[in-house]
Amino acid sequence: MTYRIGVDIGGTFVDFCVFDEESGRLTTFKLLATPGSPGQDVAGGLGALAAQGTLDPARVVHFAHGTTVGVNTLIQRRGAKLALLCTEGFRDVLELGRLDLPDIFNLFSERPPSLIPRERVVPVRERIRADGSVSVPLDAKALKLALDRARSVGAEGVVVSFINAYKNPQHERVAKAFFGAEAPELFTVCSTDVWPVIREYERTVTAVIHAYVYPAMRRYFDGLEGALRSAGIGEGASVVITKVNGGVMGVRRAADHCVWTLTSGPASGVIGAAYVAGLAGAPNVLTLDVGGTSADIAVITDGEPMLGMGHHVGGYPIYVPAIMVSSIGCGGGSIAWVDDLGVLRVGPESAGAEPGPACYGRGGQHPTLTDAFAVCGFLAGGSLAYGALAPRTDLAVGAIRTIAEPMGLDLYRAAEAIINLAVSDMYLESSKLLARWGIDPRDLSLLAFGGAGPMVGCFLARELGIRRVIIPPFPGVLSAAGAVLADLKSDFIRTVLIDLDGAAAGSLKAGFAELKAAAFEWLRQEGGVADARTADVRLSLDMRYTGQAYEIEVPIEERWVETGDVEAIRAAFHARHEQVYGHSDPAAPVQAVNLRLVVVAPTPKPALAEVEPADSDEPEPFRLGKVFYASAEQTMPFFKRQDLKAGHRLRGPAVVVEDDCTVCIPAGFEGTVDRWGNIILEDRLDG
Amino acid sequence: MDKVTLQIFANQCRAACAVMAETLYRTAHSTFVRETFDFTAGLTTPDGEMFAYSEDIAATWFVGLNMGNAIRKIGHYEEGDICITNDPYGSGFVCTQSPDTHLWMPIFHSGRLMAFGCCHVHNTDVGGAVPGSLSRTLSDVFQEGIRIPPLKLFRRGELNRDLLEVFLTNVRVPDQNWGDLKAQVAALKVVERKVKQIIDRFGPDAFSEGIRALLDLAEQQARAIIRSIPDGDYFFCDYVDEDAVTGYPLRLAVTMRVRGDELILDFTGTDPQLACSLNIPTGGNERHTVLLVALYHAFRTLDPNILLNNGIVRPIRCILPEGSIVNPRYPAAVGMRSLTGARLQDVILGCLAQALPERMPACASGSISMVVVNTMDPKAGRIAVATIEPMVGGGGGGPFRDGTNGVGGTISFLHNTPVEVNEAEVPFEVLRYELIPDSAGAGLWRGGLGTVLEFKVFSPGSSVTARNRDRTRFRPWGVAGGRAGKPSEFVLNPGTDRERNLGNVDVVYLEPGDVIRITSCGGGGWGDPYRRDPARVLADVRNGFVSAEAAEAEYGVVIRDGELDPEATARLRASRPTPADGERFFEFGPERTAYEAVWTRRMYDILTELLWGVPVTWRGFFKGKVFEAVDEISKTRQPTPDDLRAVFGRLKESFFGPA
Repeated sequence: MTYRIGVDIGGTFVDFCVFDEESGRLTTFKLLATPGSPGQDVAGGLGALAAQGTLDPARVVHFAHGTTVGVNTLIQRRGAKLALLCTEGFRDVLELGRLDLPDIFNLFSERPPSLIPRERVVPVRERIRADGSVSVPLDAKALKLALDRARSVGAEGVVVSFINAYKNPQHERVAKAFFGAEAPELFTVCSTDVWPVIREYERTVTAVIHAYVYPAMRRYFDGLEGALRSAGIGEGASVVITKVNGGVMGVRRAADHCVWTLTSGPASGVIGAAYVAGLAGAPNVLTLDVGGTSADIAVITDGEPMLGMGHHVGGYPIYVPAIMVSSIGCGGGSIAWVDDLGVLRVGPESAGAEPGPACYGRGGQHPTLTDAFAVCGFLAGGSLAYGALAPRTDLAVGAIRTIAEPMGLDLYRAAEAIINLAVSDMYLESSKLLARWGIDPRDLSLLAFGGAGPMVGCFLARELGIRRVIIPPFPGVLSAAGAVLADLKSDFIRTVLIDLDGAAAGSLKAGFAELKAAAFEWLRQEGGVADARTADVRLSLDMRYTGQAYEIEVPIEERWVETGDVEAIRAAFHARHEQVYGHSDPAAPVQAVNLRLVVVAPTPKPALAEVEPADSDEPEPFRLGKVFYASAEQTMPFFKRQDLKAGHRLRGPAVVVEDDCTVCIPAGFEGTVDRWGNIILEDRLDG
Repeated sequence: MDKVTLQIFANQCRAACAVMAETLYRTAHSTFVRETFDFTAGLTTPDGEMFAYSEDIAATWFVGLNMGNAIRKIGHYEEGDICITNDPYGSGFVCTQSPDTHLWMPIFHSGRLMAFGCCHVHNTDVGGAVPGSLSRTLSDVFQEGIRIPPLKLFRRGELNRDLLEVFLTNVRVPDQNWGDLKAQVAALKVVERKVKQIIDRFGPDAFSEGIRALLDLAEQQARAIIRSIPDGDYFFCDYVDEDAVTGYPLRLAVTMRVRGDELILDFTGTDPQLACSLNIPTGGNERHTVLLVALYHAFRTLDPNILLNNGIVRPIRCILPEGSIVNPRYPAAVGMRSLTGARLQDVILGCLAQALPERMPACASGSISMVVVNTMDPKAGRIAVATIEPMVGGGGGGPFRDGTNGVGGTISFLHNTPVEVNEAEVPFEVLRYELIPDSAGAGLWRGGLGTVLEFKVFSPGSSVTARNRDRTRFRPWGVAGGRAGKPSEFVLNPGTDRERNLGNVDVVYLEPGDVIRITSCGGGGWGDPYRRDPARVLADVRNGFVSAEAAEAEYGVVIRDGELDPEATARLRASRPTPADGERFFEFGPERTAYEAVWTRRMYDILTELLWGVPVTWRGFFKGKVFEAVDEISKTRQPTPDDLRAVFGRLKESFFGPA
């Protein structure tokens, strides 16, 4: 008997997901996170699982882990004290960013302060031209000056980011070597080692965030292996860390690539969602992960999570390929309030996990979205967080009353108003994002997970015109499940900026050959996690029409590169441009900006056990409850999730209660439980 | 419609606008749309009132646009019609410069007209005398390109090919115009579908009621904000450096009258219309959106929850003297109205700063110059043209924080272009792109720093266009004791014997090896710099935002060898006489102070009165002549109102004969 384990640390809980490889059985487990000592969570949870007989640590073969150490370091501003070496004349790459501010109407809109104050930004006399040639050579004197400056400002680490280093990283490397020899006590990071792409701000800020969290993550990863050993996990087990691109990497080198681990938890959730959606036969999906303070959405097309660059963490953008997970500031803990003109609003303030909604009974006073569901009766008979909390409707009533009175509504209508408005706010924000991505929601299914996702999923789907809703069998721990399922994956990039004409074939071939060599070297170093022979290499090019400011990524076939078929590459670009922007210009010249290569080595996938078939169509409710919903009190059946078997039919209005969340099924939704335990609902309402 | 339903209805309408704007942005062809976000999308009532607006992307100028005049020029609407105009005068001043192509589409439900979808794009070029169709040198609207009065581009879904052909024949890059038109049409069709869904859901009567309620709610919100502004008359004026190429200062003046929940902006004292394209066409519309942009920003700053729609302009009324810059008569040129408009925003924010000193910032840099380089790529043998950077400049200091560095005020939607991208595309070398120490106005909260861009070209036949540059003379002002920011610069070959100050020149032709330096202004400061926490000043010095010399001179903070000297600081700060309360609320910098020593408010009031005594066509001309004469007098003594009257009298006599 062997196990594959996923452990994802979130804001409130540590989620465990254990796959028994033999039985295909999946066990989930949640533990309250202890933010002070992240390593303890993992060991403690493993100990608890061993104690309850779920797991024999010695039989763990694969341990996949997502951590929030990096995100917390960034958000709490407790990262390394860094110096930045920059090219003379370009001291404010970080301070200026790309100029734009987040709120274009607000006269006081601002960006978060630079992670490296200008005092510690050290201009260095050197210059590389756009073609890679040296315009101003870098000498030891300039480096000595820079080192003195870095020391005098008390830096613990140094980021080197020079103009045009993407084209020729020589000066960055010389600087790093110099610092390594002269100041071994400082760690040095070159921008081109983190992500060697054109655009100085994007490259620099990514390297800076990487270096900022590096010491904390190094400590954490170094301690993790020890913690696992002492928890009884053997040397032979592969230990991997989740990445924001949806893959994993071995823990030994995770610190060196730590920028990829930031917000990998939500990315793993989407990987889990893509897997479940695949089982449920839904290739195109909007994923909705609702927690206490936010709703995270992402899109899966043809079974693949949509990737992009420039995701924000703590207000800072990171430019590495990542699963595009966008946060909407509305969650189960979002607080409802009434403004001076008597207009109801939900959020952006949130009661968060601590003290949480009033109905948690942990001191929360403000009326939240979860309280509104409690008042309406949806949460009666359920539990929260694996029985750790029982919702207190009386407290929710007291909180909602504070809203009902100034609005002149009765209690239930006020609660329903909060639900409707919160869902409408989510609708507005998700509409904007989908429109930006050029996606019509009517082509998607909605897969809802997270603590509050299944509660609001059907309501939001109906607003968006989505006809099908999927509630996976383990909605509270989908990130941990995604971590177990994630493949070994790494991205490689090289900026070339060449005109895509006949002469380009040679450069493309040579460039991709180098990237491929680097990819296989990376795989070799990863060793036992996955079988390199099964590795899949995916090539793409960032391309644009000459003169355009933005490029789009276009997948290309390796044989086009091998045979020098530039025409096929151009055709793929025109087709993709047409698809994304609605027009193309086959006569216009095309540029290739970046060569990109992704290597993916599949990890073994556990075969998920099927749920038992049901004896009859109709599941047995454990209670009938009164719920205020659609402006009237209605009696509806409440089911326990564990009582639902394959083939059971569900018809709204109904409620399904789980260990850590509640599924609300409004009237008009009908569906079945599939053999994997997914609840698949269709909206029968005309819309 | 109850308030909760109205909120949900508002979200639906906002989402429809967002989908429309994103569709337009995604599918537009021109780099102008992609890089400068100069487009808008919204929904209007059947009368043309904008009840929902794309708030997240796109330009901020048309929140309060009333499409009514253009809509009414088309008598009869049918399903599938899409109308077009880019004619400032023909559209009844809905359009305000010829490159702004507006489209609108009626949305019906069972034969009943429910709303219009509308959108605009700033086209890169619509023909006329110069590429891009805009220049300060143009003297009437005919030079500003082809103008299409309100016409149907699509009639019941069918394209009017004749109209399209005439339009595309008269522009320089027809593919781009057609591409952008197609994007606009796609956006309108999307919003038509979305709005029909909303009507189906809420019902046609509730829809009509809902859009009125949205306008009413925004109006209520705006009135609540205005009520929070103390009643009173607040006068402010500011200047565009030049009223023509190398001309005299252009004055914009406003008296803001706040009475309860109503607000009047009286533009009396604003200069007469010009024979160049700095005029702002409004047709005398009391609530024209281009005049009110500053208020959208101010209201959103004061109440982040305010709905942005035409309702917020209802409590506002403008008094617009006929034949002035803000109410020019046909056929005045209007293409560069964005330069004037930016300064107008400063003027209105200057009124608000007096009314709400604890809630409003000092002046931001107020310049939106897009720097375009045109040079030969010897390798590729082709001309490389690229918009390299928007030079924006620092934000104003606020009552509780410093101004943002390099960007701020009402211009925070522009992106810069990475140096690496510029150098890869244009065969030139950027020597410097960074903040300028000591450029910000000092203050309890200082302004944001301005930026410097320096580059060298290598080919003969290179040129640089820097349209919309201003404030090389008149600085972004400081408030409540804060100081003015540094003015902007445009210099050829700085620090060499070939150095030349280019001022506000629009286009400059370069030789190989020439270096151009362009700087943007620092923002004005807020509050007395002597009250700034010395620790903050020290941090500014360590960060290189402020020099040690400036720390001492402007902040009274003594820094020796990188450390604060608290005793010397206390002594220095104590030695300055305490400024009297309310003394010098604004600080404008020496240039404006010197200018206004001659052109006092009283002198300008008299000039305005005199100018308005002559026919519109003569006013701009007389203004120039008067300035010439007064300049001459001021060389020897202080000119007086009597001098002014005498000069004017002589002018009238010489051109109109004895009175």
